[in-house]
Amino acid sequence: MTTPLAELHNRAELLAANLPPLMVAAERVAATVAQGVHGRRRIGQGETFWQFRHYERGDSIQHIDWRRSARSDSVYLRETEWEAAQSVWLWSDASPSMHYQSTKKLQTKLEHADLLTLALAALLVRGGEHVAPLGRGTIPSTGRMALNILAAALEDREEELAQRKAKKETDTGSLPPFEQVPKHGRVVLISDFLEPLEEINHAVGVFSNRGVDGYILQVLDPAEQSLPFGGRTRFEGTENEGNALIGRVEGVREDYKTEMAAQRRGLEAIARTAGWGFSTHMTDQPLQATLLNLYVALTATIEWTGTA
Amino acid sequence: MFTLGAISFVAPLALFGLATLPILWWLLRVIPPAPRRVRFPAIRLVMRLVNPEESSAKTPLWLTLLRLALITLVILGAAHPILNATNQFAEDGPLILIVDDGWASARHWNKRQTAFSNLMDQAERQGRAVAVITTAPGNADQSRAMESLLTADAARQLLGALQPKPWPVNRIATTSILNELKYQGTPQVVWLSNGLNDKPDGSDVAEFTSILQKIGDLTVLADTLGALSPLLMPPVSERDGLTISARRAASGVASSLSVRVRGEDGNVLTRQPIKFDAGETTGKLKLTLPAEIRNKVTFIEIENFNSAGSTVLVDERWRRRPVGLVSARKRSSSQPLLDNLFYLDKALDPFTEVRVGTMEELFKREIAMVVLADPGKMTTKQNDRLLRWVKLGGIALRFAGPRLASEKNPVLPVRLRQGSRDLGGALSWAKPAALAAFRQNSPFAGLVIPKDVRVRRQVLAQPSVDLPEKTWAQLTDGTPLVTAEKRGDGWLVFFHITASPSWSNLPLSGLFVGMLQNLVQLSRGIVGETGERILKPIQSIDGFGRLTDPRPGALAMKASDFLSGKAGPKHPPGFYGDETARRAFNLSPSITHLTPLSDLGAGVTRDTYQETREQDFRGALLLAAMVLAILDIIASFALRGFFTFNRATAALIALMMTPLIFSTAQAQTVVPDNRVQANDAREFAPALNIRIAYVKTGNSQIDNTSRAGLEGLAFIINSRTAADMGKPIAIDPATDELSYYPMIYWPITEDAPVIEPTTAIKLNRYLKNGGTIFFDTRDSSGGGVGADRLEEIARHVDVPPMTAIPSDHVLTKAYYLLREFPGRWTGGRVWVQRSTSQAAERANDGVSSIIVGGHDWAGAWAMDEARKPLYPVVPGGERQREMAYRFGINLMMYVLTGNYKADQVHLPAILERLGQ
Repeated sequence: MTTPLAELHNRAELLAANLPPLMVAAERVAATVAQGVHGRRRIGQGETFWQFRHYERGDSIQHIDWRRSARSDSVYLRETEWEAAQSVWLWSDASPSMHYQSTKKLQTKLEHADLLTLALAALLVRGGEHVAPLGRGTIPSTGRMALNILAAALEDREEELAQRKAKKETDTGSLPPFEQVPKHGRVVLISDFLEPLEEINHAVGVFSNRGVDGYILQVLDPAEQSLPFGGRTRFEGTENEGNALIGRVEGVREDYKTEMAAQRRGLEAIARTAGWGFSTHMTDQPLQATLLNLYVALTATIEWTGTA
Repeated sequence: MFTLGAISFVAPLALFGLATLPILWWLLRVIPPAPRRVRFPAIRLVMRLVNPEESSAKTPLWLTLLRLALITLVILGAAHPILNATNQFAEDGPLILIVDDGWASARHWNKRQTAFSNLMDQAERQGRAVAVITTAPGNADQSRAMESLLTADAARQLLGALQPKPWPVNRIATTSILNELKYQGTPQVVWLSNGLNDKPDGSDVAEFTSILQKIGDLTVLADTLGALSPLLMPPVSERDGLTISARRAASGVASSLSVRVRGEDGNVLTRQPIKFDAGETTGKLKLTLPAEIRNKVTFIEIENFNSAGSTVLVDERWRRRPVGLVSARKRSSSQPLLDNLFYLDKALDPFTEVRVGTMEELFKREIAMVVLADPGKMTTKQNDRLLRWVKLGGIALRFAGPRLASEKNPVLPVRLRQGSRDLGGALSWAKPAALAAFRQNSPFAGLVIPKDVRVRRQVLAQPSVDLPEKTWAQLTDGTPLVTAEKRGDGWLVFFHITASPSWSNLPLSGLFVGMLQNLVQLSRGIVGETGERILKPIQSIDGFGRLTDPRPGALAMKASDFLSGKAGPKHPPGFYGDETARRAFNLSPSITHLTPLSDLGAGVTRDTYQETREQDFRGALLLAAMVLAILDIIASFALRGFFTFNRATAALIALMMTPLIFSTAQAQTVVPDNRVQANDAREFAPALNIRIAYVKTGNSQIDNTSRAGLEGLAFIINSRTAADMGKPIAIDPATDELSYYPMIYWPITEDAPVIEPTTAIKLNRYLKNGGTIFFDTRDSSGGGVGADRLEEIARHVDVPPMTAIPSDHVLTKAYYLLREFPGRWTGGRVWVQRSTSQAAERANDGVSSIIVGGHDWAGAWAMDEARKPLYPVVPGGERQREMAYRFGINLMMYVLTGNYKADQVHLPAILERLGQ
């Protein structure tokens, strides 16, 4: 006898049970990175006082702080901190292929992707930006609430996946969904991006064509990079792609590496065409380095657009 | 059974499986091993790499070969191959083994053991019953156990324990056992012969084979001619050594055997080859040995032949003892026949070493007998020297003569009359006198007196009371001819005639030699052996020619039987006599002929003994197949890429192989050992605890009382002392091993059977090695009916001299101080071994090996489960019960700890010393 209310309550409990560790982990990753970046300390439009500086020719007279200037001979300008908030839509792939881990020692790609998503969001929120999960129609928000919404959305994908499986849909959600992201909005796509390049190009194109800026992060397992198998092996896809029998895996390893490099080059080309950033994260690498790269790259574009 | 060279197959039909190998080859090649399955996200990239030709991959050649080898091994294993399989028997009846276990079989006994094992293996495979019949006469009970049909396993145990006997076989005697044998079907008879005929013409073999053939299909195994055992004859004494002769059965090519001569302590004195010329069956070897070495010889054997027939014992008869002839002057070589010493030399030389010299010279070396043949006047100093030597055990032999009269105070056994007596001379009526028969107490007893020996002149002894006692030989008229007197350990012997024929023709007769020989024998302290003397067995030769303790069942032998007696179970070859004098009884003189086994007639399969043990390969093949199967699994995994070879994998494989290696090693250990192991567990169990054993009487009430009594005693001892006693155990001394028990409690009933001699030997050994038997006659007195019965049943047991427990005996103070030793009864005496000599004390730590009493102690000790006494004590009272327990504890302490409490006699002295 389960009332809808009770079910909601159950789910909330589940969430509460699942989220904190993820959140804590994401916060911890974000914290270590934040100390290295020192936030968003630069001049811009905003309410908060930033610094005084000497008046230079060409400065707007409106910015002269007369009270300060009166205390000395020179004329001072009052500069405020830049406070223009940006909105970032985050998406991480939760398709079956992301559940892969080549050895027990490594975490799954999904865990890395989710951690990166949440940690990035935490960093952005700390910097005052607005974040929202992509494909949910949620309005970007900031603060602790925004993180909760994002985490809940990550959680929901699991159910969506199960529903898709139940309905036997062929689409496993391994490509980002489309959402009306405002121009100059930012999109971060985290996935293994092993789908055909044309499909990826199309999915990215719908955003970039509308002038949406973004970043593509490919998360890969080391086994997918090096194909460390041997002997006669039948490979089976994780998303009903079919299977492939290889007589001697050692013999095709180099060919495979070439294929993988080609895939990555293709992704790079797509990102370049769209004017997006691109990088690859391996699950045996530390999250911090990737997160720092991702964050720096993201804030650089923000700064660039901000000063433009 | 299908035979291919040395390999036979038990189930040859399985070999048809080999025909399927080509089909398997094709199948294996076509069906590749299943691929490893991997879920892989980057499948799209992998798909581009698929080579369409690869789908028809074949099994690699080496894997196919591995699997074919595996299947071949399984098929061969199923066919059950056996290397060196013995002839297979067609008949379905039992297997009857006739085993010649006489002396001649010892040489190749291991080959016979191999044959036993092979035959038992086969009997086991075919489920045949086995009867084992040995042809050498043995103890009655042994042959009885053998004659019934046994399982192969039981027969294997029986044969494993079988040892060759040191006497000849008697095949015809076994036919009665054969006739009594009950069986079904047609038996297969295998005669493991010793390769020799019983009778020289082979008539016995013909008879025996015909009997065996009537029973069933006969196979005879015989040694090849060259492998037959030679026979070493007792040596013949020569002047300067021993002549050894040996016989062989087959006169063939010339050959040479090595003869080893050992001394008393077993060390080799000399080793020389004995040669057989071609066509000769007898070989001779002249051993020249110095007298000192020669006297040490006790044991002669043919090297590497290890049988009773190739071993000869040597006793004093073959020894030369040094005899000194005292000669003051140089011997006159111009007229030797007038010299006394000439005759003595001739008489003594064949069996002694004769030395001639002055008394001083002779006494410088060890010497057994000194002969003074009228040497002339002797000084007092010389006389004293001579008497001193005699008292130490020497024999001084004096002869009368003209110069004796001039001596004032000669050293003689009797006092002499002045002058001498002429018989049959010119002035005498009397005729020369003959010798009277020797008396029984004389060392010359048994010697035959030639009719023509006459004494013409002699000196006469003064008549005295002890003269007849001192007389060893006398003339028919009663005058002493040889008188002797014991001085100390030695003898002073006097011949009343000269050693030259001038007074008598005795020195010319063979009797003289015999008399001197007996006197020389006497020099070792033996009075010459008379024919009726009974000699106990001291040591026996076993079937392998080893000198061991006397065989069970060996009986004492009359001295007169030594030359004519035949070796057998009652009289095995060995030393007989006692520690001071022993005689060797050898096997070889009683074997008159040595002829190889004659033709066996038609219808008899004749074979030789095989060196090789049957080897069953089935286990090894199946094991190898298993190893290959594991290798195949590993290889298949490797092909699928399940693991790469790293240290962990290697360790895993090693781990998998370990039990295999161990099982192989185990399979290689020789099979017959399991007999030993099986016995160990049962036999060692009693040794793990200190246990008192009690003898089963057959009367259940007495047995129950014994058990309850000893359990009660063990409980009391465990609760009061540091000793940790196990449960008492019931034994049958005839069959059970006794050496585990410190004490055996033996209740005597009025109808107890007499202890068998074989059991008595076991008991004697147990007692000698420190065991204690506690006889309880249960008749209250220790001197009544039970004691008489005990005396009767224990007549074969070496019961030492007994005495009632003295008041200072260790038993009175081993744990508690006790004055009496009550049981259910009291008032009787308890008897222990009398501590007579120091040697006995040392032998067994002073612990009495036998304790006898009649107080029914087990009855007093007996308790029920609630630790309540089972029987009342008489006259009664808790004190008597307590004293009974105390005696039990004292007894156990005495048995376990020996006589150290006896040291308390020194306690006052120790205390006194401490006080200072």
